[in-house]
Amino acid sequence: MIKNKKYVMVYAIDRCVDCKACMVACKAQWQVPENHFRTHIDEKYSPGKYAPNRKYFLPSQCNHCDEAPCVSVCPTKASHKREDGIVYVDRDICIGCKYCIVSCPYDARFFNEEVGVAEKCTFCLPWIQQGHQPACATTCLSNTRIFGDINDPNSEVSKFLAEAKRNKSKIWKLREDLGTEPNIYYVQS
Amino acid sequence: MASIKMSRRGFLNTAAISAAAMSVPFTLKRSAASDNNAKEDKKLHISQNWCEMCFWGCGVTAYNREGRVFKLEGQPKCPKNYGKLCARGNSGIYQLYDPDRLKKPLIRTGKRGEGKFREATYEEAISYVADKTNKAIKEYGKGTVSLIAHGSGEHAFINLMSIIGSPNTAIPAYSQCTGSREIGWFLTYGRPYTGNEPIDAANSKCLMFFGRNVLEAVMVGETQRVTEGMAKGAKLIYVDPRYSKTAAKADIWAKIKPGTDLALMLGMINYIINAKLYNIDFVDKYCSGFDELKQSVKKNTPEWAEKETNVPAETIKNICQELSNAAPSCAIGPGRRLTRYGDDTQHVRAIGILNALMGNWYTPGGFYKISKMDIVTPHICEIEHTEVKGGEKIERVDGAGSEYRLAPKNLGLENKLMKGILQGEPYPVKVMFAYGTNLFQHYPDYEECKQIIDKLDLMVTCDVYLTETALYSDVIFPESTYLERKDPIGVMTGKYPYVKYREPATAPLYNTIGAYELVEKIAKKMGYKNHFKTIDDVNKEILDQLGISIDVLKKDGVYVKPTFEGIYPQAEGKDLKFNTPSGKVELYSVFCEKLGFDPIPKYTRHKMPKDDEFRLLFGRQSYHTHARTQNNRWLLALHDFEIKAWIPAKKAARLGIMTGNKVRIVKGDKKSRELTAYVTDEIHEDAIFIPHGYGRITKFMELAYAMDGASDANLCSNGTDPISGASAFHQAFVKIEKV
Repeated sequence: MIKNKKYVMVYAIDRCVDCKACMVACKAQWQVPENHFRTHIDEKYSPGKYAPNRKYFLPSQCNHCDEAPCVSVCPTKASHKREDGIVYVDRDICIGCKYCIVSCPYDARFFNEEVGVAEKCTFCLPWIQQGHQPACATTCLSNTRIFGDINDPNSEVSKFLAEAKRNKSKIWKLREDLGTEPNIYYVQS
Repeated sequence: MASIKMSRRGFLNTAAISAAAMSVPFTLKRSAASDNNAKEDKKLHISQNWCEMCFWGCGVTAYNREGRVFKLEGQPKCPKNYGKLCARGNSGIYQLYDPDRLKKPLIRTGKRGEGKFREATYEEAISYVADKTNKAIKEYGKGTVSLIAHGSGEHAFINLMSIIGSPNTAIPAYSQCTGSREIGWFLTYGRPYTGNEPIDAANSKCLMFFGRNVLEAVMVGETQRVTEGMAKGAKLIYVDPRYSKTAAKADIWAKIKPGTDLALMLGMINYIINAKLYNIDFVDKYCSGFDELKQSVKKNTPEWAEKETNVPAETIKNICQELSNAAPSCAIGPGRRLTRYGDDTQHVRAIGILNALMGNWYTPGGFYKISKMDIVTPHICEIEHTEVKGGEKIERVDGAGSEYRLAPKNLGLENKLMKGILQGEPYPVKVMFAYGTNLFQHYPDYEECKQIIDKLDLMVTCDVYLTETALYSDVIFPESTYLERKDPIGVMTGKYPYVKYREPATAPLYNTIGAYELVEKIAKKMGYKNHFKTIDDVNKEILDQLGISIDVLKKDGVYVKPTFEGIYPQAEGKDLKFNTPSGKVELYSVFCEKLGFDPIPKYTRHKMPKDDEFRLLFGRQSYHTHARTQNNRWLLALHDFEIKAWIPAKKAARLGIMTGNKVRIVKGDKKSRELTAYVTDEIHEDAIFIPHGYGRITKFMELAYAMDGASDANLCSNGTDPISGASAFHQAFVKIEKV
């Protein structure tokens, strides 16, 4: 039986140098309103040896959750989970009520004031259906971002995650305690 | 500030605006947010280019639909970026459609700097320039014309200087950037380092940089290679007074007292020699002056270096051990903008020596050999008479090749040219062309820059924006951006030499032209009868030599040399030759001795800041280039429209400054515009750091002006390295005050 595709993204965060190319590539691709971005990179700190605290860089975007709060609170079903795993906002149905924006525990959504709809990452749907990679992954200088179908054992993401498990790398997702079943994997060696 | 800044989270709290937005009718929703990429691709126009958001020149594919360029992507085959683009590269679209761009030729009507211009036709503006230039040449001679240029069109203007017969061309990339590096490397290895950044980082086991913020300066290919090397396990050692992004990724960060790098290097050399960590075979076979070196650094123990640099002796020893363990698959980078303390050439000499001790020349993971395309780059202009072709020899104003014997004449010394203009020595320079470069943001001191321009009868700028330099110009020519131009095929050297192709992604949006077209018209109007080939003709000559069709370049954007020469001659067992007086790597430089400089680098303590002062450090942000991109809203949004001054915590506490406070930088009677304090232990207590490119005075770049901030150029020092003649910027001491 052929399983449905399930799109996910992996961040190999050791590689991220906070160049923010992903943020601008995405902005250009989808004409994201001037002061908004669909993906971010934040500076974080952990205890370090040579610095007072060791700085690292953490990318983030919509987690395309399996149990997405934004989908369950949407009164018009504009926000919906597709069969390929992508959480998508149908702009024709969105009434701009912003429940989804408030409900997202990852702060991944914003209000597009130019159009009057909630907006967020779509994994570059429909660009990816033409065989492209998402804009952020295409441009990522350091190859931090790996995108693909986790149901396909031969996809780059599946192989990368398998190898990360073998190498006993740290693998996690954000706020798994909330039960949202996010689909962005963070990997650190 | 408040008018241009609106943060993501801040916006969500603005209920009034949200309510207004909710009333947007449904019809607008669909049209305004249509998915560009979802539509049928019949009307898609794809073109090839190289990026000019910085000078690294990444291959770019531009997508245009229905007349609008909507997406830029890296060319997968281009050796400069292999399919990737940085934030600036991706934001080239904003620059193309920036409402603040220059749109027509302008002629000044008010006083210089007052900002009053009238629009002119090309015919009128070119006549104005030709007449004034000819008049100045008649009165003062050919040398009275000067050029400062940077970017793809610089060769057009260099042609103009050759046609006129003036030697006074200066490319700021030498004196204001890499000059000392090139000379220091040349003195040691007999060849310049070159902007290819030939470290084989992807295969390296240990990489070390001194204040070369390699992961934040972001030259795509270099960043790729370094991150690739690190992903494969390379150690990164980084020396900087500041905890930059490179420091954040480093295995060892040495928080050095600014101005003492040379002491650290001598301490390392001392330890490497005494602990016998060096590559004995390489030193015996290929280096000259080892015994003199050993003798010279005898007192520079790691313990001595610790006192000078604040880097613990244990850390210094540890660094040497790491390098030695990885050798020869290791590299110590010689920096890029090396305009720091006036001993920069010796600084690079010491780095050259450290590398030689590791024996990493032309080895995998060390330095690779740069190769060239086997073609002759044709000249676009067949020049009838030039200084070179039997014209009379005219003395250079900047002293390149004479007073500064090692400074190359083709690059010149901008700093000395400017001083010469100010002093009227050795003869008056009355005309200046500035192409793609903004003197005010890289020549120390605004007032002096104004005085220099006031010495001129004619100041001409060709640029995309009305920069500070344009503001003080008499005539401004609006240049087409790289996405609107055709330029001659570029012939590139490197690990993988290639040619690159540029075709317009769109017709020019405004009444703008490219530099080649402009220069041809100016030369003609001045009365010269030189033949300019068309860009197509030049391209054809190159394609014929390569034996390929234009379709290859239209498809891939680049053509990479197919035959691959050995790039690791040492590892391949070939005998190495060095173009130095001794024919070896000169640990002891015979050339330096001849010229009266230390043949082996010696450390002299620089002047240090007083207790209430800071040394002013400045540098790059990942997402801006020089002073060129600060009007780009997409990029400004990346740092939330904020400019941070890094201030050491202890001293900030004394001054009552906390993170988020507005501060000014003060130097004598100069006060900068406002910055936001970032109070931190992540910078040495002697220094403050500001990002480059702000504190603007031209209101014609509206966003850049609104950003406030401090201009490092107005506050830094204007010293000179006596060997290379290049500038020294980091000898300035400043104070900070709370607004």
